Amino acid sequence: MKTFEEKWTAWVDGELSGRELSEFEASLPDKAAAEAEKAGALKLGELLKRELSARTMTSEEFFSHQLRESVARLHETPGRKAPETRSAWWTIPRLLWTGAASLAVFLVFTVVVMREKNPAEESQYLTQILNARVDPVVSPNASVSIFEVKQDRVTVLWTEGLQSLPADYAAK
Amino acid sequence: MQTEATLAQADVSELDLIRRCQAGDTEAFDELVTRNRTRVFSMIYNMVHSEQDAWDLAQDSFLKAWKSIKRFRGRSSFYTWIYRIVMNVTIDWLRKKHVKGAGAEFDDATQLKEVDPASKTVPKAEALPYETMERGEIRTRIDQAIDQLSPEQRAVILMKEIEGMQYHEIAEALGCSIGTVMSRLFYARKKLQNLLRDVYENI
Repeated sequence: MKTFEEKWTAWVDGELSGRELSEFEASLPDKAAAEAEKAGALKLGELLKRELSARTMTSEEFFSHQLRESVARLHETPGRKAPETRSAWWTIPRLLWTGAASLAVFLVFTVVVMREKNPAEESQYLTQILNARVDPVVSPNASVSIFEVKQDRVTVLWTEGLQSLPADYAAK
Repeated sequence: MQTEATLAQADVSELDLIRRCQAGDTEAFDELVTRNRTRVFSMIYNMVHSEQDAWDLAQDSFLKAWKSIKRFRGRSSFYTWIYRIVMNVTIDWLRKKHVKGAGAEFDDATQLKEVDPASKTVPKAEALPYETMERGEIRTRIDQAIDQLSPEQRAVILMKEIEGMQYHEIAEALGCSIGTVMSRLFYARKKLQNLLRDVYENI
């Protein structure tokens, strides 16, 4: 079912015919006024066509040139984006590899440091003392005890009954 | 790049050009632009009334056409297809411009309230003898009258009266029904008849 506006437009443009046309024209309350309106609409169309069709573009070639450059830039853009696409490889596999490698380096470093650290905790001086034996002839009641606090790197050597300090106890 | 003359001599069909465009041939697209640029520019200019804006919008429209040329199925002419892009770009621009200008919203419903469908059009101003009106003045009056229409009404009346497009072609270009096209055409004509009667009656 067409609205009045649709029927009117079709009537002005000569798109109504047969029964539809006669029914529409019969429905018009003032046919003469409607005909005048239709004539006005057609004149309006002629005016618009005459006045607005004349517009031409200046610098047509430059228009095309500018557009060609824009299209060329569009084609360059995917090429520039290619490195970004490759860098996306970093996101999962390479990050995993980097993480694993970092962990391995950390473990190796830790082992090396721990190995170097352990001998240092037991000073050369202390080693000499522990390995030394008290001469039972010189000091029959002598005893040696040691206690240490590793975090403070403190080692205390407690000796009793020594009549003299063996020469090889001396620090170098 | 192939020149306009050589391509014209070759009488390359539009469909062939489109197929080449879809294969990435920029020269074929250049030829399509050459064939349609004046009509596209003219249409946009009549809607926005600014040469610079019309130029930019036409550039934007053709660029969008190039980007989406692979989606063109050939069910309509290239011109009708690109008109849809042109209308989307231009109507969108007009609406944004209107919002920035803080004016009343373009709305077809407003037109329904303003114009009684059964009303007769009457001249808004006293009739001026055509001879006394400069051609530029006529053009200015027409531009001012078109500015009173919503973007969709502008599009419809310009496609109908200037381009001579059929209702179904306009509907396709605007993505609406034929009934909507006819309704918009009705209100656009009524409004322009009110505003320009003194002009067209005295020519």
